[in-house]
Amino acid sequence: MKKSKYVELVLITAALASCNQSSKEWEGGGGGSKTYLRSDTTAPYTQARHHGGIGTALLWYYAFRPFGNFSNGNYQRAGYYSNALNRSSNIGRNGFKGAVSRGGFGRGSYSVSS
Amino acid sequence: MKRISIEARNNWQTAVENLGFGFHTTDIPYWDETAYYSFEMEEIVNIEKASAELWTMCLTAVQHVIDNSLYKSFAIPQWMIPYIERTWNEDHPSVYGRFDLCCKDGQIKLLEFNADTPTSLFEAGIVQWFWLKDFDNDKDQFNSIHEKLITYWKYVKAYLHPGTLHFACIKESLEDLTNTEYLRDCALQAGIDTTLIFIDDIGWDEERKEFLDMEDEPMKNIFKLYPWEWLLGDDFGQNILQDSNQALWIEPAWKMILSNKAILPILWRLFPDHPYLLPAYFEPGQLTSYVKKPILSREGANINLIRNRNLVQHTEGVYGKEGYIFQQLFELPQFDGAYPVVGSWIIGQEPAGIGIREGGTLITNNSSRFVPHLIQR
Repeated sequence: MKKSKYVELVLITAALASCNQSSKEWEGGGGGSKTYLRSDTTAPYTQARHHGGIGTALLWYYAFRPFGNFSNGNYQRAGYYSNALNRSSNIGRNGFKGAVSRGGFGRGSYSVSS
Repeated sequence: MKRISIEARNNWQTAVENLGFGFHTTDIPYWDETAYYSFEMEEIVNIEKASAELWTMCLTAVQHVIDNSLYKSFAIPQWMIPYIERTWNEDHPSVYGRFDLCCKDGQIKLLEFNADTPTSLFEAGIVQWFWLKDFDNDKDQFNSIHEKLITYWKYVKAYLHPGTLHFACIKESLEDLTNTEYLRDCALQAGIDTTLIFIDDIGWDEERKEFLDMEDEPMKNIFKLYPWEWLLGDDFGQNILQDSNQALWIEPAWKMILSNKAILPILWRLFPDHPYLLPAYFEPGQLTSYVKKPILSREGANINLIRNRNLVQHTEGVYGKEGYIFQQLFELPQFDGAYPVVGSWIIGQEPAGIGIREGGTLITNNSSRFVPHLIQR
């Protein structure tokens, strides 16, 4: 009813097509081998942690995301950040990172499904 | 409205996964195409008419709550009220919402309104549509969700601050990610510059008083698939009021009034005996058969279903500390042991389609299944 003949998805199919692939068993905590990471050379290594996740979302969870800012129209990378790491291993003595706090939203980290 | 049992497509898993639908099955089936619901056109027109009227009534109810400062019934914190009223008075746009309706014996009754973070949008807008193309290409469906989303994002564009529209959801749920990415897909097709960010990656710069994305760019437009009551309860919640950019949040804060089940007694008080409403109160009063619902709850949790003063069904959960409402029992119809709820979508200001979820009990919960529908001419 009132549906057009042509429905196109420009983003979601490609982005999520791999989400149903089975993911490798996490071995970073508990009884498996432990993984120690840091995202800044001024920071100490600590054990990476894992709170669950699925498919591609799991990969994104461990991703090291670029940090930076724009100055005079140019992007300057300041470093990287990963949510799988402790704060101490993300920031270290990096003053640029330290100005911004993250993780203040998302405490209710289960599906909103409604 | 009929439930028709059919054979699922041989390759249905591949077919839906190719659309990007990765959460069709968990430990139990969620997408279920071993049946479909068939509607007469007249029934669809009635659902469309009811949804349009309910939406208008809801807007009236928001104004009533604001005019009479009824926030206490909604457990909305005092400090949030000026911001809610500002978003209402400045007409911050609402993109979507889903009425959950009971359709039985020619009647349509509002059970509740998922006004802030409704899900199953992708299933309703895309997956069931492509199912219909495979199943019976000559049939039609009440489904203009996709087109209306793109059209409405174009309209919303005028409200956005210059710059990117960030889409935020939690990391751990593929369902939430899919719904968020679907909305972003439609926004992209509307010509909006977008970025995905997970909700816990959002940064706050205390000196500059602004939310920052992963590249430390200020976030001035934020779609969040994350309930307002959780945002306010989180550490960053009060920063929303201090935000120097006054970011435009979608859904807007005034939707907190409609996504709260306290709106049901308010609607009944404003529109008594309305054919689309069920009697609802803040106390059980004279009701003998009713449903006791927390004003803030999700997925059918913490529900008591009372028939003739006897508890006939109860669900556990973590909700209820904010209070309850009591709504007259209007039992879902039963088809072969399945109890369907009709989710009727409002996109922008207009009815846009339906999605049906059915469970094995009178309370629809997180184990319910999504079943496609068609219109039988």
